[in-house]
Amino acid sequence: MRKISIPRQIVTQLALVAIGFFVILPIWGMVRLAFDGSLMGRPTEFRLLPKVWAFEPFLRVLDRPYQSVDFLTLLRNSLVVSFGAGLIAIALGFALAYAFARFRFPARQTGLFAILLTAVLPPVAFMTPLYILFSILQIRTSLLALILVYAAFAMPFCIWNMRAAFQAVPKELEEAAFLDGASDFKTFLYITLPLALPSIAVAGLIAFLMAYSEFAMGWFFVDKADNVTLAMSIYAMTQSWGGAQPWSYLGSLAIIMSIPVVVIFLIFQRALLERMMFGAASDS
Amino acid sequence: MNKTIRALFHILPIALVFAIAFGLRTHAADKLSIDYDEDDYLRAAQEFAHLIRTSDGRGFLDANYRPEHPQLAKIMFGLSIVNVPEQPLIEDVPITADPAKYLPRELLKPARTMSAWWGALTAALLALINPLGGLVLAVHSFTIKYTSQVMLDGFAALMSTSTALAYYFSKRKQGKAKNALLILSAIFLGLSASSKYLHSAVGIAILIDWFLVAREAGETKKYLRNAFLWGLLSILTFFVFNPFYWPDPLGRIQATLEAVSATTTNPNVVNSAYPVWQQLIHLSTSVPVRWSSQGFLVRLDGLIFLFAIFGLANTWKKNRFITIWLFVDVFLLLVWQTRWAQYILVATAPLSLAAAEGIKVAWANLAEWWRARPERRKEAGKLSTREMKRALPWLIPGLVAFALLTIIPLVLEFAISMTDFSSISIRDGFNGGIWRAISQGLTGQVPAQEIDIGTRSTQVNFTGLNIYPPVFSYVSQSPPNLLFGTGPQSILFFNAMWTVLSVVLQFGIGLAMALLLWQKGVRLGKFWQALFILPWAIPELIGAQMWFNIFRFESGWLYLAAEKFGSASFFGTIVHSLHTSSSIRLIPLLLAAAWYGFPFMMLAVSAGLKMVPQDVLDAAAIDGANRWQAFRTVIWPLILPLIVPALIVRGIFSFNQFYLFQTFSLQTATLATLSYNLFNPTPEYGGLPGGQFAISAVINIIAVIILMVFVILFNRWSKAGEGVSYA
Repeated sequence: MRKISIPRQIVTQLALVAIGFFVILPIWGMVRLAFDGSLMGRPTEFRLLPKVWAFEPFLRVLDRPYQSVDFLTLLRNSLVVSFGAGLIAIALGFALAYAFARFRFPARQTGLFAILLTAVLPPVAFMTPLYILFSILQIRTSLLALILVYAAFAMPFCIWNMRAAFQAVPKELEEAAFLDGASDFKTFLYITLPLALPSIAVAGLIAFLMAYSEFAMGWFFVDKADNVTLAMSIYAMTQSWGGAQPWSYLGSLAIIMSIPVVVIFLIFQRALLERMMFGAASDS
Repeated sequence: MNKTIRALFHILPIALVFAIAFGLRTHAADKLSIDYDEDDYLRAAQEFAHLIRTSDGRGFLDANYRPEHPQLAKIMFGLSIVNVPEQPLIEDVPITADPAKYLPRELLKPARTMSAWWGALTAALLALINPLGGLVLAVHSFTIKYTSQVMLDGFAALMSTSTALAYYFSKRKQGKAKNALLILSAIFLGLSASSKYLHSAVGIAILIDWFLVAREAGETKKYLRNAFLWGLLSILTFFVFNPFYWPDPLGRIQATLEAVSATTTNPNVVNSAYPVWQQLIHLSTSVPVRWSSQGFLVRLDGLIFLFAIFGLANTWKKNRFITIWLFVDVFLLLVWQTRWAQYILVATAPLSLAAAEGIKVAWANLAEWWRARPERRKEAGKLSTREMKRALPWLIPGLVAFALLTIIPLVLEFAISMTDFSSISIRDGFNGGIWRAISQGLTGQVPAQEIDIGTRSTQVNFTGLNIYPPVFSYVSQSPPNLLFGTGPQSILFFNAMWTVLSVVLQFGIGLAMALLLWQKGVRLGKFWQALFILPWAIPELIGAQMWFNIFRFESGWLYLAAEKFGSASFFGTIVHSLHTSSSIRLIPLLLAAAWYGFPFMMLAVSAGLKMVPQDVLDAAAIDGANRWQAFRTVIWPLILPLIVPALIVRGIFSFNQFYLFQTFSLQTATLATLSYNLFNPTPEYGGLPGGQFAISAVINIIAVIILMVFVILFNRWSKAGEGVSYA
């Protein structure tokens, strides 16, 4: 195929600019809020640029964004919950994933169906019964409960993806190790796991991100300000019960919270895409 | 077989369909209360009955009460009451008035019975093509409603169905018989238009199908001549049966147009603020129970609509005309400004035929599944015990964890859905009340309670599956939120429509961007690609917040702009249309959804495009394929295996969409949002009763069932999506 002609280049660029504008517009709206030092509450006049450029909202948010809780506590809660959920989903799910990837056993098809189905259910379908279950067990308001809720939600997805990852490991390799006298577990540990590890890590990363940006379930479970996560505090700020703060805080917190995720996505885009499509894009 | 018996076999199903249709319609005619417009048409009928009785031929030239509709169907109603002793004319009220409180029974009954005859005849006619299709039309609740009341739509539907049938059978005949049937169809088309203008839609469908046939046969010229004559004949028929037009055709046409536009702009139509898709809601939901609790023995319209969708592909293959007929009708229903429910009778006949095809497809699939059972069992029986032993050490810990975190919560959810657990009984529920209610209920120690939403019981009670029917009818008949007009609404419908629209939009933009960036030598390609990934990378909560920041009432960017530049400015007009048009209110949400979703689609398509080998494209170009052909035959099949799973993933995501609606404060937009907000033990906003744990559980179970069907269907039918199947 030859390089495209100049008129075609122009039309292409125009279309790209149009969509680029569409992409940037809402992001810019948030940036404009974040850097406006003049806001006392909600914005009251139309502006494309901040009225008073200020970095103060960022500093303020990095100190105490939500009520009296400081930023580091929120971040810590977010990280604890998200890492915990990702780890639990992976650690508890891998055995099942391996069994489904390698062995034939009765009701295997039914099991696969159950995993796929639970992987596509909305979070609220797990959240509500777990709320009741954890209330009965009286652990509902702990961070552990939140970790378990997010892990429950992420686990079927992780199992499905880990199964795909294990399946992608050539069976011949395993069989060779098995014939050399290695046990199933040893084969798994030294052959399959290392090869599948990158894909597993990405599945875990997705579980992490899911927990990192979840707020709605969080607010049902957590009742102490000390246990609030970043995402929850953003939601609280947008609802008036977060206190009447300048909206620049909301903007800056949203940006601060997004930056690490955006970086992760830009770096791992191909791998994340593959896992989010349940392994369907694994070609290369 | 004896000839008579064979004839009997043909006639019996048709007669049966007629009997069922007529029975259901007379039942409804007996039970339904008086609806809008019945007084109008009854009055028109009285006028015509009077003219017939007094043999006043000239009177027909002017009598046309409610001139926005043609005369014929009204004259037919006149015939139905011609033997009833003369009564004072029914009061002439403004078109916007409430339904009449009282209409003389001697008039209403024969008119409604005649309507029932028309409806039953339409179903029987349809049974000529397909008895199952006739049966479907016979039980379709909205069709029953408007063919058992004094409405023009019943006769008009009979005429338009006859038009379609005459054309349908003409396609299978040759020579004189063919011509005779075509002439018949032209006459029936004229009669359809004489009954209700919109019912001439079938004529458009015929012209399209006829054209396609002619083009395939290379007889376009002949087609133009024949179609012209055919159209002329139907217009002539129309004039013959509408004496109203005789004295002054042009003037009367103008008067009609004025009357029609007056109806479409009448305050009832405007205030109802029906969205563009309102007629799809009427087509996909049954007559609401609150409209009539007794008139209908079955309400299966939603199921019929689903079957019709499943049957579309097969209908197209077997019978292109039926599909075109359905599409033209639905298209006209969408663009026609008046969106009253009775108008859907334009489309219910072809819809029923498509649904019949869908039922056949579903039945064939089920039969195949049943037939293949022994083979599957054999397959399962092959498993070696050795492998089973090896699997167990992995399975057991995995299953325990999986069961603890996902299966048990789902089972608990199902258990809660069989109780009346709510925040009132929260203490009892948390202290073993759920367990007690379920165990006593399932062992039959206590009977299932009737549901009572307003229950103040501090104890959890067993309700069995009693909550399911009311909750299901709630989600299928309630507005998704306060935004979409006053007509019948459906959360389920909105959920489905939302899924389709947002996925289509995301896919369209994603595909376009991927193809643009795929061209060789696009400047700044890497930059654009990186920029376009941003929305995908930004957490959904924050993306939703960003869009809400634009469209938020009063403090959103758009509102502030409208304030600054005035209500006549570009921004002002947008704000105004957001306030006045219920359809436009969907656009901000769709924009946000497209923004989220298109990068994922773009990446999926890009990943597929990387696999398109350059030499194949070059070969296609050498063979003289143009761009479109190259795309259609080379690129598309290669990227499809990546597109299908991406569509499914995004489709499921859209079906479950929650954070966007929650951020936009639309608490009841989708099943997920509704379930969440009904559950919420501490409701933040007024309007929704929080803490309805059992009801929320039922909604979740409904969502689980829908997704289950989705996953099953997908696995059975999509060969292109092997990526997500049980490889």
